[in-house]
Amino acid sequence: MRYITFALSKGRLTDLSISLLEGAGIDCTELKSNSRKLILSDEKNKIRFFLAKPADVPVYVEYGAADIGIVGKDTLIEEGRDLYEVLDLGFAKCKMCVAGPKELEGKMDLVSINRVATKYPEVARTYFRHKRRESVEIIKLSGSIELAPLVGLSEVIVDLVETGRTLKENGLVVLDTIADISARMVVNRVSMKMENQRITRIIEDIRKQL
Amino acid sequence: MRRWNIYTPEGVQDILFESCSQKRVLESKIRKAFKLNGYKEIEPPTIEFYDTFGGERGLISQESMYKFCDSKGRLLVLRPDLTVPVARIAATKLKDEVLPLKCCYIGNTFSFDELGGGRQHEFTQAGCELLGINSPEADAEVVAMAIETIRATGIDEFQIDIGQVGFFKGLMEESGLSEDEIEEVREFIDQKNLVGVEQVMDRHQVKNPLKRIILDLPKLFGSKDILQEIKYEDIGKVATKAIENIKEVLDILEDRNLSQYVSLDLGMVQSLNYYTGIVFRGYTYGVGFPILSGGRYDKLVAKFGRDCEATGFSLGINMVMMALERQKKQFEQESAGVFVTYEKNARKLAGDYCRQLIANDCIAELDIMQLGMEESKKYATAKGFSKFVCIKNDGSREEITL
Repeated sequence: MRYITFALSKGRLTDLSISLLEGAGIDCTELKSNSRKLILSDEKNKIRFFLAKPADVPVYVEYGAADIGIVGKDTLIEEGRDLYEVLDLGFAKCKMCVAGPKELEGKMDLVSINRVATKYPEVARTYFRHKRRESVEIIKLSGSIELAPLVGLSEVIVDLVETGRTLKENGLVVLDTIADISARMVVNRVSMKMENQRITRIIEDIRKQL
Repeated sequence: MRRWNIYTPEGVQDILFESCSQKRVLESKIRKAFKLNGYKEIEPPTIEFYDTFGGERGLISQESMYKFCDSKGRLLVLRPDLTVPVARIAATKLKDEVLPLKCCYIGNTFSFDELGGGRQHEFTQAGCELLGINSPEADAEVVAMAIETIRATGIDEFQIDIGQVGFFKGLMEESGLSEDEIEEVREFIDQKNLVGVEQVMDRHQVKNPLKRIILDLPKLFGSKDILQEIKYEDIGKVATKAIENIKEVLDILEDRNLSQYVSLDLGMVQSLNYYTGIVFRGYTYGVGFPILSGGRYDKLVAKFGRDCEATGFSLGINMVMMALERQKKQFEQESAGVFVTYEKNARKLAGDYCRQLIANDCIAELDIMQLGMEESKKYATAKGFSKFVCIKNDGSREEITL
């Protein structure tokens, strides 16, 4: 039997992913053991795991270096990889939004927006090109995106909004919602066919817990 | 100034000795399989007009093509695919040939698509096209040819997934969804995203039982049994015809003893504006991408001025090489050859001996460096010769197996 390889997102999705896998009868002892090993396994079920930066998970899965991945929808739409997105795991929920100063509320269509700051340049570019039919300058930032409109770097931002508290405290509001975000399970297109039975069983075992 | 003269551009590679020879062996096995099945090889030019591939309802996106100009300022491309040139030729130079037409090709194609996982900007494709016939027999023939081609490469664990785009198109016709909504559903089905499909269905209140079948589409893949889950009266004429077509094709493949390689995926809905009937893809272990893809494209040849049904497939040779390597399949070793050196006065004898070996299909190399016995033995060992022969002045031969 061949190994089925999981790529799990390092960070806030890790623990929830592990408990789903355990619920599906997969032995994650080695995974939870804080080992320095990069690839861990459940020898009985012939399953291997590794943790990767969320943005890299879709890449590993698309190339077939991992068969299955668990990753946020935000990363999936930003990376735009050719994958099967088989399950909405329902956790780590938030929204991908366009946000900006309160003055712009309800006036997005009236003013022309020139600069957009974001951690998600592809998401922002696609949204403005196709949905708003505007060519905008995308400014890629790595964190604290809310700062950009406050210091005049951009008019609006595209970012994840969970509770909206940071926006509110800084006088910003959500101007439009681009997509609902949550953790997803993705599968490589070839693996889904070559290991159909085993992968379908894993999907079903995880689906039952949702 | 930065100098690029020692590098190759991104996405292209030098293929050296061993892998080059493996690639040629692979190509000749494939060529032989094509030929024995009655497919005649053609060699379209590497350069074509942009208009052949691009244009208003272009088949291949503008961004993915290598473009340049000819001396009259017309836009040219390095061919991004070989099916389109075959269609062009079938509609023009071969328009008076007796149908059906069986063509094949092995050649390099070029695309700016993303690199990685075995994908390069220059890659070799081998393919067959069967033109001028639309029947389940023709569809099955091409799938069978695809299976035979993969087997010829030495890959034995693989799977051909068959779909029928008419099934999806028919269901969408029945559903009354708009073009944009259909595209939305298509994307979700292509990603096997059940939740996404469900959201669209709910938003547009598509009625049962049609809704149930559309919702099932992402799950309708696997063995032949899935066909039994579909109730005919619910799905409309076009989709029913598609299912009948797929059943006939599967029956023919069963008669040819090929069922073990074949599975179904009714949710295979990529490139809908190109394909018109049966579509299929080939998968194997070790590579994350399909090694083969094909299908029926009855409207392509008409773009070049002749109505002509067609179906075919192409196999990615580089992907196959990667799969063979990952699956640790042994390539046949070429016989290593004989190194022939000689004593000073035996030059003529050595030359004659060497030519005689070559005439008998044995790889042989004459010592042109006059290294002397010991040095040339070292050289022959380093170059991997299997035998070392020294021709003496008196005409005798000393042979050493290395």
